Amino acid sequence: MIGRIKLAGLIAAALLIFLPSFTSAQDFSFGVSPDEVRIDSLPPGEAAEFELTIHNKEELARNFTITTFQPPEEERREGRAESPDDSWISFSSQEIEVPANSAANVTVAVAIPRDQKWAGEDWEIWLGVDAESSDLLAVRLYVRLLVSTSGTKFNAGLVAGIVVGIILLGCGGYYYFRRKAKPE
Amino acid sequence: MKAVITSIVVAIILALIFSLPALAQDSDAITITMTGVNDISISLDKTQWPLGNVASNTEYATSPAIEWCTLTVEGNCNVNIFIVGEDAEWIDNPGAYKWTLSNDGTNGENVYGLKFRISGDTARGYVPITKTEGEFWPYGDGSSLAPGDTKQFGLKLLTPTYFVGSRQMQTQITISAVAA
Repeated sequence: MIGRIKLAGLIAAALLIFLPSFTSAQDFSFGVSPDEVRIDSLPPGEAAEFELTIHNKEELARNFTITTFQPPEEERREGRAESPDDSWISFSSQEIEVPANSAANVTVAVAIPRDQKWAGEDWEIWLGVDAESSDLLAVRLYVRLLVSTSGTKFNAGLVAGIVVGIILLGCGGYYYFRRKAKPE
Repeated sequence: MKAVITSIVVAIILALIFSLPALAQDSDAITITMTGVNDISISLDKTQWPLGNVASNTEYATSPAIEWCTLTVEGNCNVNIFIVGEDAEWIDNPGAYKWTLSNDGTNGENVYGLKFRISGDTARGYVPITKTEGEFWPYGDGSSLAPGDTKQFGLKLLTPTYFVGSRQMQTQITISAVAA
């Protein structure tokens, strides 16, 4: 696992020197659970936490890194939009060493800023878990994170309606009390 | 004056009575649903391809050509699998010199190509590996890989038509998986 593909370059016109490939039987295996996390009704201004478990299925300890990834539209679940800001997601540790044939947990926190414009949204972002490797082939596993925020967006029409309602009711009430106060 | 104040107060109270339910934020409990029994996992039985010295404008293939490495879906969920490459960098000074990975498997001056081929995939043959994640197995038609499935594949490397010699270069190909 420690070797890297090393392509020692020659000048273009140099002799064609090719050392035969040496195959190696290095195995590479790890797992992550759960494969999908769904957070519903998360109000803007609040946070939710959950744990990811990384299973190292190899005979030696490995370092793993966890990052966020914005999936392309065609890979997202139906009705899900791109998450507006990766920084809303944080990890208890972005790098973790997992002993051989063991598992370790990473706490993931999702915090939505307190702003009504983020209410009533459905987002998808992926959490990528990479096993540190300098080999040619590397493996990354993605966990789908689906976040739905609760609440209603600021409704300018509704607020305008309320203002108009207050004015109309005020006028109506004024004329009503004025007429009532008038002597017969 | 008294009528004006009374009217305004009554109007505000009435307006608030009818509008507060609409303005109130939903107060549903936050729910976190995790498909906890599902474990996403894939394995590769080979990860190294030490080539040694290479010549310019030359194609190298793994041996065996298309059954060099076996990918196995080990978790308990169906997966979509992607493959992505990157530029090859000079090991001694990564920022100073690189081979750019082409987006179609071809080569050029300081531009190299990578391709992969899955055993049994006669429709696509060799597929370029680019710097954008592409389908490893063509799941676009709904054929994601299921637990226990295996796919054998091989690689091809096309060296640049010209490159600066005597420099050790390194690159990485990442195979990734997400629940289908």
